[in-house]
Amino acid sequence: MDLKSLTISQIQELLFSKQISAVEIVKFYLQRIKKLDPQIKSFITVTEKEALKQAENIDNRIKKGESVGKLAGAVMAVKDIFLTKDIQTTASSQVLKDYVPQYSSTIYQKLINEDAIVIGKTNTDPFAFGGSTENSGFFTTKNPWNLSKVPGGSSGGSAAAVAADFCQFALGTDTGGSIRLPASLCNISGLKPTYGLNSRYGITAMASSFDCPGVFAKNVSDLALVTEITAGIDPKDATTINNPVPNYSQILGDIDLKKLRIGIPKEYFIDPINIEVKEKVMKAAKLFESNGATLVDISLPSTKLGIAVYYILVPSEISANMARYDGIRFGRNTNNNPDITSYYMNTRGQYMEAEVKRRILIGTYALSSGYYDAYYTKASKVRTLIKNEFTNALKNVDVILAPVSPTVAWDIGAKANDPLQMYLVDAFTVCINVAGVPSVALPCGFDQTNLPIGFQLIGNFFEEAKILSIAHQYQQITDFHTNTPNL
Amino acid sequence: MKITPIIGLEVHVELKTKSKMFCSCSAEHFHVDPNTHTCPTCLGLPGALPVPNKTACEWCLKLGLALGCTPNESSFFERKNYFYPDLSKGYQLTQYEKPFVVNGKIKVGDQEVRINRAHMEEDTGKSVHIKDNSQELTLIDYNRCGVPLVEIVSEPDITSPEMAKDYLLKMQQIIRYLGISDADIEKGSMRCEPTVNLKIEKDGQEFFTPLVEIKNVASLTGVQTAIDFEIKRQTEAFNQTGEVKSKTNKNTYGWDADKNQTFLQREKEGSSDYRYFPEPDIPHIEFTKAEIEAIKATIPELPDQKIERYKKDFALNDYDANLLASDFSFSQAFEKAIGQNPESAFVKFTANLFLGAIKTYLNESQKDLDINKINSKYFKNLFDSVSKSEISATVAKQVIVESYYIDQDPVEIAKNSGLIQVSDSSEIAKIAKEVINTNPKAVDDYKKNPASIGFLIGQLMKASKGSANPKLAKEILEKLLN
Repeated sequence: MDLKSLTISQIQELLFSKQISAVEIVKFYLQRIKKLDPQIKSFITVTEKEALKQAENIDNRIKKGESVGKLAGAVMAVKDIFLTKDIQTTASSQVLKDYVPQYSSTIYQKLINEDAIVIGKTNTDPFAFGGSTENSGFFTTKNPWNLSKVPGGSSGGSAAAVAADFCQFALGTDTGGSIRLPASLCNISGLKPTYGLNSRYGITAMASSFDCPGVFAKNVSDLALVTEITAGIDPKDATTINNPVPNYSQILGDIDLKKLRIGIPKEYFIDPINIEVKEKVMKAAKLFESNGATLVDISLPSTKLGIAVYYILVPSEISANMARYDGIRFGRNTNNNPDITSYYMNTRGQYMEAEVKRRILIGTYALSSGYYDAYYTKASKVRTLIKNEFTNALKNVDVILAPVSPTVAWDIGAKANDPLQMYLVDAFTVCINVAGVPSVALPCGFDQTNLPIGFQLIGNFFEEAKILSIAHQYQQITDFHTNTPNL
Repeated sequence: MKITPIIGLEVHVELKTKSKMFCSCSAEHFHVDPNTHTCPTCLGLPGALPVPNKTACEWCLKLGLALGCTPNESSFFERKNYFYPDLSKGYQLTQYEKPFVVNGKIKVGDQEVRINRAHMEEDTGKSVHIKDNSQELTLIDYNRCGVPLVEIVSEPDITSPEMAKDYLLKMQQIIRYLGISDADIEKGSMRCEPTVNLKIEKDGQEFFTPLVEIKNVASLTGVQTAIDFEIKRQTEAFNQTGEVKSKTNKNTYGWDADKNQTFLQREKEGSSDYRYFPEPDIPHIEFTKAEIEAIKATIPELPDQKIERYKKDFALNDYDANLLASDFSFSQAFEKAIGQNPESAFVKFTANLFLGAIKTYLNESQKDLDINKINSKYFKNLFDSVSKSEISATVAKQVIVESYYIDQDPVEIAKNSGLIQVSDSSEIAKIAKEVINTNPKAVDDYKKNPASIGFLIGQLMKASKGSANPKLAKEILEKLLN
């Protein structure tokens, strides 16, 4: 049976009506992966054995009439910075090559507990440091829409895996755009939730006060389905919030587009935006308008400071978060060092990728005595400013609509040697992370070369239900998200 | 030349919470198999996160309040970045800018020592250096990694090695009163790093010698001797080089307890950069006024107040009051023994038993006093019997320990062992006559020298198996002999 393009609920219908078994579902995806992933390279590890075992277990329970989890039959790919017990977790870095963790990340475990099936671990920039997967310590993932283009990053492997139909949904993380950007470049839907909605426990830390684990899927309804399972307080992550988790998937029709006020921030439609991207995103806004919503011009004047703030605070946190990779308790190490300092320097020097080192250096510098106030303290103040701009703007509008990526997917290699150009691809995404508010990215068309374009809907803190509902209704009146690449 | 030592102390105290500071591992690490009390968080594994131990934070606040400190409205943890194998995360979680409490003071003798701050942090693991087949190895035990530590920083108000020792004893006493730590210096649950320099007045000018922080001091006497040594060393160094304190010449010296001397460990401590920044994994911690009041309410009467009360309410002398209050559980047992509204003669009597017989027994048996076995009624009965001369003071000391041991009325014990004092004149007279008859030489001696009656009294006491009232025995003997 051809399962291509099927969503979680469609697959589950087939599974529960016994038209297909979980093992057959898994085999369908494994076959696709074997055939197509050698070109796309979305996976670092394909967990064939684990997936089949899980599937058999689900089939047995269905056969016996026993209960199964809410995600039985749903097949997921997991960004390789999520720790998965007994399954190699590399963070796409040579530092953790062959590392097999002793425990699993909270939200991965929550999904496994609901019988989601893990099909593999996906490529990313090392420790999620990047925007294209080109920094990966192993290989670059290709965009399924055009194999000479990047899929975006850092969660590029997860986005490509969903776009290429290697799974139904995938886990990613978004620290400065790492879910929304690849979702947008690969024509899929992605949710960066409010900071603190999803537990960070068991995910290699990039910037602890920015990192947001989230999900990619083929449509918004599936995003809702998965998020209502991952979300919620985790006693192991002190930054998760004890709010009741709504059943997002049950309330997707709750928003009346006619009463909606949508903010259009002028700072998101200027340079460096590509003209075709701007046009398609504005078209999406107009579609809301023609369905009764009101478009409101707004301004988020500190947007231009986003990248600067981000690239001070994030590397600062990175410089400390990367300190544990010292080769002593886990990970790779080097031999024949005369003393402990050489051990650290050689081990970290040999295995850390260039971008990892670059960010450690930037962060160490920014935190140094004499520079701390000028960089870290100042950036923290601007962070508060940016956050206030969002909350103030969201007093007058329900949601903010903006592009995700200034451009469509670019050529592999085009920006790989220019870190600053690469940092700018996040120009329209980082401020959302600086503020900590939620944002959902979804497809809104293609450029003349048939490369996907996406936009994002940004809500106030913990307003996932609202932005998912608006996004879902957009997908009810458009079909961009149902387009798939020719592979 | 006049020399005044300027001494500040950093004291680290390991809290005896059940679990570690940022994970649920057991905080027990003394005599525990290496690396058995560990988890992803304290091992610093990828992705693991810290969650603060609420009890530990409350205890830090409690200690601060007991030291007269002011709580900060909002506190947060910070990362102190440095590399060392026993520091699993590559940074230590501590408090820098906003500790839980600031600005307190304690009384040491007649002087006051100001407390700069008390903050919460985590302990590191332990590196063990061994030689295996001529290969030098460093093994790391992470059981201690993440154990809650409170650091108490004093102002440099201490002026002598003795005062430093007294400060530590006082700190230890307060901490033990609060029940938050064993504060055992030998076991490492209380550690001390003195910072020492000298104010030297010479030829009408004032000089300050460079600051020295002394590490690895592992005993109370060590603190005293190390500071003493350092004062002498700095005096000599000043005489030789004349070097004075600057912003960059703070040095770290280690204490070698075998050689009884300090040695230079690290120069120019001032230049190290720990790149502190707020810990993003833990939200700011705010205690409400009500929470602070609730914690305050759990602070027991502290040693200074207790000593004052003993002196004022019970007319105990300073020495006894200090001894009784020295240990919290000992003073609790004492207070249980004297009961409510005791008369001062009874308090004095009970105090003597506690500081004499009971303390000796505890020292010899190396046991802790079990407050549950203290029965106020027993002490009262014993006191009444002694007042009525039924039991001698000597017997009282004897039976109180037995009474504690077997949980029986000490007066009963005395009766059962025939230790009740005989105050019946005819009974004593009968024994006295016998003693006179069997000791003619002593009788002769007495006639020549009445002061020698002691021997005959001794014989009488012996014949009565110690039960005769000695005062009465003397009177009767004298009557019969004259």
